[in-house]
Amino acid sequence: MERTVRGRGVAASWYGIARTATIDRAGAWAELDDGGTAKVVTGVTEIGEGILTLLAQVAAEELGIRPEQVTLGDNDTARSPEAAHAGATRQTYMVGNSIALACREAREKLFAEIAEYWDVEATLLHAFDGILHAEGTNKSMTMAEAVAICKGRGVVPVGSGSFTAHGTGLDPVDGSGAPWQVYVFGTQVAEVEVDTVTGEVQVLGIWAAHDVGRAINPRGIEGQIEGAIVQGLGQALMEDYQTVEGHTTTHGFAKYILPTALDVPEITSFLVEDRDPLSPLGAKGIGEPALVPTAPAIMNAIYDAIGVRITSLPATPEKILQGLKEKRRRNEGIAAE
Amino acid sequence: MPELELNFEVNGRTVAKRINPGLRLLDVLRDDLNMTGTKEGCGAGECGTCSVFVDGKLVKSCLMPAAKAEGTRIETVEGLARPGDLTVIQRAFYKTGASQCGYCIPGMVMAATSALRDNPDAGHEEIKERMGGNICRCTGYTKIIEAVELARDVIAGRMSPAALEADAVGESYIGNSVRRIDAPAKVAGRLKYAGDMIMPDMLHMAVLRSPHPHAEIVSMDTSAARAMPGVECVITSEDVPGVDGFGVFVHDQPIMARGKVRYVGEAVAAVAATDERSARRALAGIKVTYRELPGLFDAADALAPGAPVLHDYAPDNIVKHIPLRKGNIEAGFAAADLILEENFSTQQVEHAYLEPEAGIAYVDHDDVVTVISPSQNITHHRHMLAAIIDRPIQKVRFIMSPVGGGFGGKEDMIYQGMLALAAMQTHKPVRIVFTREESIVSTAKRHPSRSKVRMGLTRAGRITAMEFDMLSDGGAYGMSSEGVMRKAAILSCGPYEIDNLKVDTTVVYTNNTPSGAFRSFGGMQVQFATESMVDMAAEKLGLDPFEIRRRNMMKPGSLTHTQQKLGTASLGMVLDAAEKGSRWEAGAPTVRGATRGDTHGAGTREPCKLGERFAAGPETKERVA
Amino acid sequence: MLSCRSYQMPKSLAEALALWRGAPEGSRLIAGATDILPWAREGRAGDVEIDTLIDLSRVAELSGYQQKDGRIRLGANVVWQDFLTDPVLARSLPCMPFCSVWFADDQIRQQATLAGNLVNASPAADGTPPVIALNGDIEIARLDGDTVVTRTMPVADFISGPGRTDLKPGEIVVAVTVDALPGYGGSYQKVGQRRSLVISSVCCAAVVKTDPSGKVFEDVRLALGGVGPKPMRLTETEAMLRGKAISADLIERASAGPVDLVASRTRVDYRRTVVRGFVRAAVEDALAHAAQSAQSEEKETANA
Repeated sequence: MERTVRGRGVAASWYGIARTATIDRAGAWAELDDGGTAKVVTGVTEIGEGILTLLAQVAAEELGIRPEQVTLGDNDTARSPEAAHAGATRQTYMVGNSIALACREAREKLFAEIAEYWDVEATLLHAFDGILHAEGTNKSMTMAEAVAICKGRGVVPVGSGSFTAHGTGLDPVDGSGAPWQVYVFGTQVAEVEVDTVTGEVQVLGIWAAHDVGRAINPRGIEGQIEGAIVQGLGQALMEDYQTVEGHTTTHGFAKYILPTALDVPEITSFLVEDRDPLSPLGAKGIGEPALVPTAPAIMNAIYDAIGVRITSLPATPEKILQGLKEKRRRNEGIAAE
Repeated sequence: MPELELNFEVNGRTVAKRINPGLRLLDVLRDDLNMTGTKEGCGAGECGTCSVFVDGKLVKSCLMPAAKAEGTRIETVEGLARPGDLTVIQRAFYKTGASQCGYCIPGMVMAATSALRDNPDAGHEEIKERMGGNICRCTGYTKIIEAVELARDVIAGRMSPAALEADAVGESYIGNSVRRIDAPAKVAGRLKYAGDMIMPDMLHMAVLRSPHPHAEIVSMDTSAARAMPGVECVITSEDVPGVDGFGVFVHDQPIMARGKVRYVGEAVAAVAATDERSARRALAGIKVTYRELPGLFDAADALAPGAPVLHDYAPDNIVKHIPLRKGNIEAGFAAADLILEENFSTQQVEHAYLEPEAGIAYVDHDDVVTVISPSQNITHHRHMLAAIIDRPIQKVRFIMSPVGGGFGGKEDMIYQGMLALAAMQTHKPVRIVFTREESIVSTAKRHPSRSKVRMGLTRAGRITAMEFDMLSDGGAYGMSSEGVMRKAAILSCGPYEIDNLKVDTTVVYTNNTPSGAFRSFGGMQVQFATESMVDMAAEKLGLDPFEIRRRNMMKPGSLTHTQQKLGTASLGMVLDAAEKGSRWEAGAPTVRGATRGDTHGAGTREPCKLGERFAAGPETKERVA
Repeated sequence: MLSCRSYQMPKSLAEALALWRGAPEGSRLIAGATDILPWAREGRAGDVEIDTLIDLSRVAELSGYQQKDGRIRLGANVVWQDFLTDPVLARSLPCMPFCSVWFADDQIRQQATLAGNLVNASPAADGTPPVIALNGDIEIARLDGDTVVTRTMPVADFISGPGRTDLKPGEIVVAVTVDALPGYGGSYQKVGQRRSLVISSVCCAAVVKTDPSGKVFEDVRLALGGVGPKPMRLTETEAMLRGKAISADLIERASAGPVDLVASRTRVDYRRTVVRGFVRAAVEDALAHAAQSAQSEEKETANA
């Protein structure tokens, strides 16, 4: 046997978006502000996933301005409307949609005033990237001018939005119920190389296909997928919080081993867009689901390489060598019969 | 206090300080000079969030006694570019989306700067190796390495600086990879996380933690600690004015241990003092007498008759059991040509966000008890804290500080209550910053699990029945356990339409470190088992792994395991994309790795061989001037 | 958390020895300091109050290295990065660069010293096996009255067990002297739980020289770490190979021997399996490097 052997494996997955088996809600306020800018306020914020940027994009799109013109107020129970928590792969879906709704209301207030001012139907108005125009006419102005005119007519263009996701509880006996209104699916392929001398597994490639509904910020989604895969890889191969009689033996990062840049595979992401028909944006979510298929894809790839089925995570070098030894013993046993 | 005279240069500025000789360079930068761009992630040289240049060499400032800085020239992330400006490397990080939570990013920017200063032509592998001492928990490193390569090429003139600018927008900002609006502050080290914030008259909190997994607190005497210099208050569960208890589903955890400790690392008392060292020293002045109780350290033991009981409300030690029943399980297995049975287990996993827990609480001019912390759930925390401190809800305010990584680990209100109590007692701002070890020992982990799985299939590969039984160790408190079991049950049997199911997920109390919310919330534990088993079945049946999945996949109109009719379902689309994208060579999973033709191709990296850059022979080794 | 009453940075060896002799109980010597700060934390030593920390990193006599009589005397302040970036060290100590990349990341290699790694005497230390393979001696200084006196002993004897050495009160390690082996090929095999910055489960150092034909083992040096209370030199395996014609079969047979030397308290089965593969891999890898090294030596001679 060569010292190193390659193998490939696949795993599929599914996941629900937003809170489980309950109704979920989030609120937001929006105001088109001087200079054609906007203030958007919601009660929950960035945990690193890039939600602020995504919310600025959604607000900009709905209001017809640029993302950098959006000032986000967030994260304060005394100053912003409730948006519940930052988790459950719910921020794009819940907060994104509530902000879309709030911005639409603010925009409609502005459009109603400008439609009267221009004497056109409000349905003809369209704003994008800071410019407002009326379709089929030569009427056009900047959003800065539009806000000034609206305010001059005595109206501050504000809006609010509340978005609801209708999950239901589970029956206590048979578990029946509709825990989420939207699901996402994913599939990952892993290619590994197993060192049969040390038992080390290196993951060399992951191909990850995930349904995100609608990709609002593709690079941001890739970042979520890449991060999730490397967390999944850590759990698959090395991470192990251990206790002995309740006392941890993995106090710090010298003992609790995390993946470094040298452990990560090349990752190729495929963003599949199966739009959610139940929400204004059509987007779903990606934070958690991308982690789910990584470990089983790696385990299936290890099996493909060396014929060892790891059923207990993590697949440490020691377990790999032990598995190889047992496999040899089995094969010798079969040969002896 | 002994002092040491220290003279050095930081970012071109001469600094003369009298310092405590035990300090690290990191402490002097952050606490004495208030340069908080340099972060503390682990304090043990393992993570690289604190990397700085000392006389041009990159070092981890948590491993450097401050005294060693005497006469040296220090460069920190704040000194890389002029205020308001960004270096090419920083702009490349901004462009590629290399920063997510941002906490590791100043260190990453420093490591990238060091790599390209040492070798402006460093290749992909060399860059990764040079950055191998810096840990990132969010990004998977991919966009970080991409940023360094982009910066390298722009600096070398191989790419135009325009490559660093925003992508052009077409007809919509939806679908445009708009650069992250928080990136400039993160790459420059300007963003203030809770542990970077200071307020006038701020006190520092240290926490006394349980050394026992299960014990009764017989007595506690805090008088000696209270009398120690610098100490402004010592709080225990006695000081809780309202109904003490928090948790995501069941409020079974007191702010600090009440009468009993249930895990090693549980908060027992807390000290607020004028400086961190005084607060830590005062912990030794708190005298606690414990009577040790028999402990539970294995989930199966928790269910045994006569097992010690952890919480009176749950005499069977069960936090939650979720059953799913669909169809007729016996009939389903009777219809199967192949029945597989296997046990799977997963370990306890630490979130390991690079930002350890931190927070500040104060009582404002309107008597509003305010807590600033990287909480993932300010809404629920406000509800719970109002009841715990017995204040009207509008007199409790939570502000979410930038979260240096959460992954579910910052959903529990594990320390905010202590901060609020200390602020109420002293009417001064009180700050806590966890050490890495404190974070690891006291906060929730991913639930470890043991699953017994039975799967019945026809010869054609259709799953006719599935039985899934999972037992999880919830540790000492409920936290998110109930929800994790629910999600695990719902997702257990994978994205497949299966007519006959019997699923049970159960989580129990033990005296281990609590388990809680962690990215995927039970979803990965169960699907690891199911997806492994689907491949085992494919091998037995001689089916390609994609094919067996297609034969069982949920489609629009399918009934889920909870008998919900799906409106949409995209598994077919993602299977196709992954199969095509990975150039998958069809075939049954029969250990064909050595012979298959689709490995070693595009989309894979080279196996890591350390030190490749030095392997060319000694005479070419000397790249570093 | 580490606290100290006094932090001293002596400039000369005599000054350092005087400080060390006079230092109160509980004082410590440090150089790179990369071990003491992680040690003074929860889960290990916890909060530690030290009277005097004596930092040796600016003691002039401990810096740099000298070559003499086929040996290299490495001052105690030589840091790990030097084995990678100093061309003389990289060429003369062919297993050290490989050991150095596995030892730690670029940043810690800038601070941590080889001597410090030896003095800590961890059974999993990366530095001890290659030094033992290079017949390393450790040089220790103390004050006799006001005179600096030194003694020298093999590193293999200096390390007496996990965390235990022959260092006596008042003594300071000043240098490590090893064989200079240009023309040899080196190798360092290591496995831990990942590839960067990790504690060894098993490690193996090798240096190999072939005869000019490249077909016979002229010299072989092998040492193992991580498999017992202290590192071990594989003298029997070396003897099996030295002077013999190189063959895969011989290497395979020779690599079976050291398996029985594994004396760890945990993961014995795993370590035994790895040791066998590592000895073979280290010899093969060192042979490949020996061929490269012979070529470049030839080139150098030609250029001279």
